[in-house]
Amino acid sequence: MNYILSKEEMERVFAAISVDFESYGAVEKEGEVVFDRVHSLAEVSENRSRYAPKEFLIRRNENVLYLEEQQRKAVFGIKSCDLKGFYLMDKQVLNRDPFYTERRNKTLFVNFVCNAPCEGGFCSSFGGPVLDEFDIQVLREGNNYHVMASDKYDKYFSGYRNDDGSYFSDFNRKFNTEMPPLEVDGLENRIKWNSPIWKEFASRCISCGACNYSCPTCYCFDLYDDGDERKREWDSCILSGFTSSSAGNIRSGLDERLRQRFYHKFVYFKKSKDEFLCTGCNRCVEDCPVGIDIKEVITHDYSLE
Amino acid sequence: MVSVLTVCPYCGTGCQIVVNDEGTEERVIGYSRSPVNEGKLCIKGYSGLSYNFSRDRLKYPMINRDGEFVRVSWKEALDETADRLLEIINEYGPDSIAFQASAKCTNEENYLMQKIARLVGTNNVDHCARSCHSPTALGLITTLGAGAATGSIESLAAARTYFVIGSNTTEQHPIIGTKLVTERKKGKNLVVADPRKTQLAELATIHLQFNPGTDIALLNSMMYVILEEHLEDEKFISDRTEGFQEFRKAIDKHSPEITEGITGIRPEELRRAARLIARDRPTSILYAMGITQHIHGTENVMSVSNLALLTGNIGVRGSGIFPLRGQNNVQGSSDMGVLSEWYPGYVPVDSPKVERFEKLWNKRLPRNKGLALSEMFDAAAEGRVKAIYVMGENPLVTEASVSDVETAIHNLKLFVVQDIFMTLTAGEADIVLPASTSLEKEGTFTNTERRIQKVNPVYPSPGEAKPDWWILNEIGKRISGIKGYESPRDIFEEIRQAIPGYAGATYDNIYPIGKQWPINEENPAGTEILHTKTFPLGRAKFVPVVYAPPAESVDEKYDMIMTTGRNYFHYHSGTMSRRADILERESPEPYVEINAVDAKRLGIRNSQAVTVESRHGTIRTKARITEKVPPGIVFVPFHYDESRVNRLVGKQVDKLSKIPEFKVVAVRVFA
Ligand code: SF4
Ligand code: SF4
Ligand code: SF4
Repeated sequence: MNYILSKEEMERVFAAISVDFESYGAVEKEGEVVFDRVHSLAEVSENRSRYAPKEFLIRRNENVLYLEEQQRKAVFGIKSCDLKGFYLMDKQVLNRDPFYTERRNKTLFVNFVCNAPCEGGFCSSFGGPVLDEFDIQVLREGNNYHVMASDKYDKYFSGYRNDDGSYFSDFNRKFNTEMPPLEVDGLENRIKWNSPIWKEFASRCISCGACNYSCPTCYCFDLYDDGDERKREWDSCILSGFTSSSAGNIRSGLDERLRQRFYHKFVYFKKSKDEFLCTGCNRCVEDCPVGIDIKEVITHDYSLE
Repeated sequence: MVSVLTVCPYCGTGCQIVVNDEGTEERVIGYSRSPVNEGKLCIKGYSGLSYNFSRDRLKYPMINRDGEFVRVSWKEALDETADRLLEIINEYGPDSIAFQASAKCTNEENYLMQKIARLVGTNNVDHCARSCHSPTALGLITTLGAGAATGSIESLAAARTYFVIGSNTTEQHPIIGTKLVTERKKGKNLVVADPRKTQLAELATIHLQFNPGTDIALLNSMMYVILEEHLEDEKFISDRTEGFQEFRKAIDKHSPEITEGITGIRPEELRRAARLIARDRPTSILYAMGITQHIHGTENVMSVSNLALLTGNIGVRGSGIFPLRGQNNVQGSSDMGVLSEWYPGYVPVDSPKVERFEKLWNKRLPRNKGLALSEMFDAAAEGRVKAIYVMGENPLVTEASVSDVETAIHNLKLFVVQDIFMTLTAGEADIVLPASTSLEKEGTFTNTERRIQKVNPVYPSPGEAKPDWWILNEIGKRISGIKGYESPRDIFEEIRQAIPGYAGATYDNIYPIGKQWPINEENPAGTEILHTKTFPLGRAKFVPVVYAPPAESVDEKYDMIMTTGRNYFHYHSGTMSRRADILERESPEPYVEINAVDAKRLGIRNSQAVTVESRHGTIRTKARITEKVPPGIVFVPFHYDESRVNRLVGKQVDKLSKIPEFKVVAVRVFA
């Protein structure tokens, strides 16, 4: 259902949610927006966080021999592009990975729709920034909050003023004129295996892993034994030890591994799950120290190669 | 959850990181406001911090009793350390003990260690900068008056040409490397002089793949060409330098046609490179261990300095000399005077200026040169040194000629090691003191561009481990009569008095983004570019240097040259990086890089176990066939204690700076 709430009313909703959940939110620290415990909605920053808060569902490093019961957490101020990453991951790991699933079921995300396009972002290419799937979606207009609540969390809004939701669709239309979507249709067929761009990327890449670590959709991990624990840790498909077999990595060249990353996002995932594995957040571009730009992969003219 | 802003514990770039912590769970991001890394990190920053939670961390003080380590209380460990040190000093004099500090420890800790050494009466205090950048300190102090990078990392973007010699920047200082990659892609010139085909070499406008150890021949030839074609900056030379005429004479013998036989570089290539460097200015010159780890290390550095002076590439944004520091705090620890010939701030031990410290510390201080790192173990073997106190170093892996180090340690009356792990070296100690990591303590690091940055604790220390400053403070109170410090901040306040360049820095004003020294009344915001108007020496000095061959050369038996170094994934003796899962997975075992031509000739297949033998020792390791090294040259990384390449490295050192020649060793390889 859709609602419209005043600032005070939103604080009351925050308080009600905080009774049932441990509340986290985007907060500023030394000029960086990070996630931390919050005790009121007023503390939550509307600015885009420095990173996609993946660790709420997939820990950077954890022991997988035990699954402890998880705390119920509410995360306020996650941006739509970062949240959408979880909906894409769901298609691959929900109900398969017990750690992810346990946390997914116990975490409530309150996504803040951006009021204006961010620099470099291209979420409109993948349907953003207003999402079709969400827990509680919020769009501020002056002192009022437009809210879309999913059935599961609708109870927190009972008694508040209903809204017809047109504000969201109008806003998304307007946003799309400010951030014109890139042409992604058919990319899975257009992209070329032998394009020279993979080698050009490889000549710059230093294998830092940032593009994976920063991506809200990347979920791969490495598994290793550490004493009496078996741990998994975030991994990066750019590294040569990733998925290596006794004969080494089947993608021995850095250009092949970079290509694999983009093919996974734009070809394999699309063909198997009917979605691109990218939300347009631009984080991989921002964190890449040598400026490798996924938008180039999308807009590149492959027809002459 | 807490988020703490601190500094990456690995290389000298000094990237600022924000660590989000929930127990042992950490999320690391680059600090986007940092002028050093602008939010970027390399794989060591992202995936390298898990050593912190390793089950191998030392948690309790231990004393070796009859060949077995026994857990003791801190009081017992400290008292016994102090008593035994004092006994030795009383019986054999203060020069019978020696201290080894660490470029991985904070400025405060290094300052404290040298102060304790000097208060007990010895200048036998030194550290690993001896094995990496002591030639830089000495060389650049001789020619310019300050042994540090002349510009900032940010200022590199203003250059039109880069000259990289002896630095595999994208692997060793990755974030600095990426600036070069990015600028090169924008069309800037890049000249790379390196025996190996590094990533930068592949991207370079010109790659000079010269023979190891022939740097001076190469550099002098470049300068020969510059003079011959009148590309020198005459105005800069006459206004700001001295010694040009003698220098010019030394260059005369180095025409590229003559040096080709030494360096292996075709004259035309060399001429093209020299023209780019001299003409398309400003030019930034970057170098690392490829320049310093030679018996002519100091001369190599001075030769680099000559080139910068000759082409007027100093004192202007985008120009300058950038010695790239290996470990996070090499610059800072050197500034602190944990070098046996310098008091803090590079005051020579035999200069009258030592009075300053006598006043500050209220004691007569030793004025004789102490033992360098490379000499301490020899002195121990000869019985002149009876006790060595090591903080955060692993000389049994990292020193040249490690088998002699072993013998020397066994000859000591007391060997104390303060570390975060039971390293190969700590395993030989009489007393082991457990230390906190840099993610568990407060202090400052000074990065490769002279930026003093605040280090802040993210995690609690395991067990009874304590910060190095705390341990030293306790030892200092017991043996040197210091009254003791309350906190690192307290020590830093004294550093500000001891070192003029640090005078204007405070814990509050260097947070969050740090400041570049000198920071003083004229430059309260710090100094981005050095030597803009004058040099600390007034005029900079040209120092004539002539080529002489490296200590080792090939013969019929040892027919290949081995060079040693680091790889992208590991760091130093590997005690940290090898305990980080992803890093260890990427590079799990020792290897020797060898060209396909040589491999074929020797009948060696990829991944085959081979023996590498030098005149000093042998190791077994895996062959890795690659085009990165040319025929005749092999490369071995030094991170692996299961196959210590430093067994192969001889004891020849640079006469001036006493750095061992890690870069040129004659070897033979066989299956
Ligand atoms: S691939 Fe890049 S732009 Fe797309 S979701 Fe991942 S980080 Fe964002
Ligand atoms: S972020 Fe850029 S440099 Fe780092 S691994 Fe990805 S593509 Fe390579
Ligand atoms: S470049 Fe150096 S300081 Fe920066 S993250 Fe990598 S190892 Fe750390």
